[in-house]
Amino acid sequence: MKNVRDAALFAAVLTALAAGAMLLAGANPIAGFAALARGALGGERQVSETLVQTSALLFPSLAVAFAFRAGLFNIGAEGQLIVGGLFAGLAGAAFVAPGWIAIPIVLAAGAIGGGLWGGVAGVLRARFGGNEVIATLMLNVLAVLLANYLIVGPLHSPNVAGPETAELPSSSWLPALLPHTRLTIAFAFALALAGLLRYVFARTVFGFELRAAGEAPQAAARAGIDLRRTALVAMTVSGAIAGFGGATLVPGVLHRFNVELSPGYGFIAIAVALVGGLDPLWIVLAAFAFGILQSGSLTMQALAHVPKDVVSVVEGLAILGLSARRFATRAPDVA
Amino acid sequence: MADAAPASLELRGIVKIYPALRALDGIDLTLLPGEIHALCGENGAGKSTLARIAAGKILATEGSVVASGPVGLVHQHFELVDRLRVWENVVLGREPRRGGRIDAAAARERVRELSRRYALAVDPDAVVETLPVGIAQRVEILRELAKEPSVLVLDEPTAVLAATEIDALFATLHTLAARGAAILVITHKLQEVIGHADRVTVIRNGRIVSSALTATTSLGAIAHAMVGGDVPALATRTRAPLRPAFVATNLCAGTGAHALHDASFEVCGGEIVGIAGVEGNGQAALSDAIAGILAYEGEMRLRDRPLPPDPAARLVAGVRVIPQDRRREALVLSWNIVDNVALGDHARAPLRRGFNVERGAREALARRVVERFDIRTPSIRACVASLSGGNQQKVVVGRALSCEPALLVAYQPTRGVDIGAAALLQSRLIEARNDGTAVLLVSFELDEILALSDRVLVMYRGKIAGEFERGSFDRARIGALMAGGA
Repeated sequence: MKNVRDAALFAAVLTALAAGAMLLAGANPIAGFAALARGALGGERQVSETLVQTSALLFPSLAVAFAFRAGLFNIGAEGQLIVGGLFAGLAGAAFVAPGWIAIPIVLAAGAIGGGLWGGVAGVLRARFGGNEVIATLMLNVLAVLLANYLIVGPLHSPNVAGPETAELPSSSWLPALLPHTRLTIAFAFALALAGLLRYVFARTVFGFELRAAGEAPQAAARAGIDLRRTALVAMTVSGAIAGFGGATLVPGVLHRFNVELSPGYGFIAIAVALVGGLDPLWIVLAAFAFGILQSGSLTMQALAHVPKDVVSVVEGLAILGLSARRFATRAPDVA
Repeated sequence: MADAAPASLELRGIVKIYPALRALDGIDLTLLPGEIHALCGENGAGKSTLARIAAGKILATEGSVVASGPVGLVHQHFELVDRLRVWENVVLGREPRRGGRIDAAAARERVRELSRRYALAVDPDAVVETLPVGIAQRVEILRELAKEPSVLVLDEPTAVLAATEIDALFATLHTLAARGAAILVITHKLQEVIGHADRVTVIRNGRIVSSALTATTSLGAIAHAMVGGDVPALATRTRAPLRPAFVATNLCAGTGAHALHDASFEVCGGEIVGIAGVEGNGQAALSDAIAGILAYEGEMRLRDRPLPPDPAARLVAGVRVIPQDRRREALVLSWNIVDNVALGDHARAPLRRGFNVERGAREALARRVVERFDIRTPSIRACVASLSGGNQQKVVVGRALSCEPALLVAYQPTRGVDIGAAALLQSRLIEARNDGTAVLLVSFELDEILALSDRVLVMYRGKIAGEFERGSFDRARIGALMAGGA
């Protein structure tokens, strides 16, 4: 989205699609929207839950946008997020220390894990010219399998029955922003990160080179920008952002790691990033909108009998429509 | 031109409107049987649009097109299927059939017969992608002639041909005309117009501004009509002391037909060395090797130091390359002039401070380039995609010359640029030479090479086939070497 008019138009189309989907599901769209709004924004608890979802979506969305701006179609934010969460869970269960020491370690571990996972795709691309779409897609699957293997196998914690890590000591939990809610300082981190990325793209030489490599790789190469290095760095940083996001869910929401950490945040993030036009500020708004869908969908299903899958359908349509537009504009010029 | 003869093609009141553009604005044009009619105009004047309307490829918004028979169109960028054979291309869409199958024998015979009739020698069984450009164009012409057209339209047919091939093409066109066809040739090479056409029509901004018998007009008058004013004079070349600058020794680069083989030459600071040659004879490999984006063997030295390997270090060393495809290789189209002008120098002071881009310095640089190169834009913040081709090229050349480069490689610096902008760009190249830059000019327009160069190297099949000093340029000899003559 480049401006308010685009955003309003897009919201209108999406609302119409959602209404259509509700009708097809045999439900009353007005009741559906009312239930959705009530579930997502009906009170302090609902709003805070929506913001929890917003920040969970915001990290991988910014990660996806970061790679996209560098011309890399990273669809592996989900895997990077899971590996980040895994690293955070393992680190958090291992360290017992005051929060101001433990929390930075836990979050940094997550960023490192996600960065490594993204970096694998970056190396494949930079070193061997491998397609990052295929690589990141496959690495999503590997991430889940790897995490499950490690937590039930070599790194199994003796006091835990299921496929998850031990609970983090409460001193390592993220401080809440609102008392008695799950809304933590992760939300503030997400907003700060959006601001930071916007600054990086607009003001720094690094951001300038990334954008050049993404928009016009041949011109960038001739201007002395190393495309391989750019691909490697962009994928690693993108993975680190997603991994950091996964890490915030461990001491912030679950207080342990398991692969149920994400209901597909890394995939929804692609839609959020595209809806946000790859601009961090618009992505914040888009993440909030998708956060509403995430947190209100259960209420919608319970009260208005609209299946919550309607939300997935609408998210899918958003990806489809926006990807089509993105690729359509890259069609060769007609003289 | 007897008035009684019925017209082969009659265009009346042709208007073509594109969403943001009135491409043609009331064109009346009549072609008579047996005439060769030249259509001239600057880039964007509407020539190609008119050609496609005449040939029925696109519809006019208003007006009528009446032809006495089929109209053939030979495209500027050939529309051939590269993987197919010559005869397959010629009959494509109108294949002779026998039973349910294509009658290959009949098709081959048809090609041979056309080939004989118009003296266009070509092997019907050759695969198009293996053919040199001049022969590929014959295939394109044969395909159109197979329709037995009463009108043949050719869009910039000589742009990719060597001088001898151009003569052969016009010989064919004269044969066709003698058989009663009307020929419309779109070209911007004015010598050809005077030498071969019976009439010349000039269009500017979608309107006809002049139409005359070539016998009664002159080069100057046609150019004046195309530009709508006087063509600006080139900058004068001052006598500058030559200083050793760039030396290439046994340079080999690229693979296949367009590779560069064992080229050794020198370009001094204060001279323009022109590479004369037909497109696809190794010029692109040479330019890319110097830019540092194509692997090569051999040695390159600049001011007594070996050239560093990577493009970034070459930029620092003062090597600037104006690439052939400005839209892909030189510019980020979605960006504004400020960011595009910074590209390449963005990582160094004064355009950088610490981690950040130095906005003030960038804007100042963009303003200087816009002013010095007379770039027509509403603002330095305008997106370069919104600029005309000529103004885009001014951004590219302006950026390359903003740093007083040690070596400037200019690959077709005026391709697709109108006459006024071309003259300005050529003057800036001469001024850079006067200021001591070593300029290597690659151009497929021999006129441009001869007008600007202090020395000319002829390239043929990736090798340097000859060298000429200014003052002893031999146009015929250079043309012969370009075509592979000894």
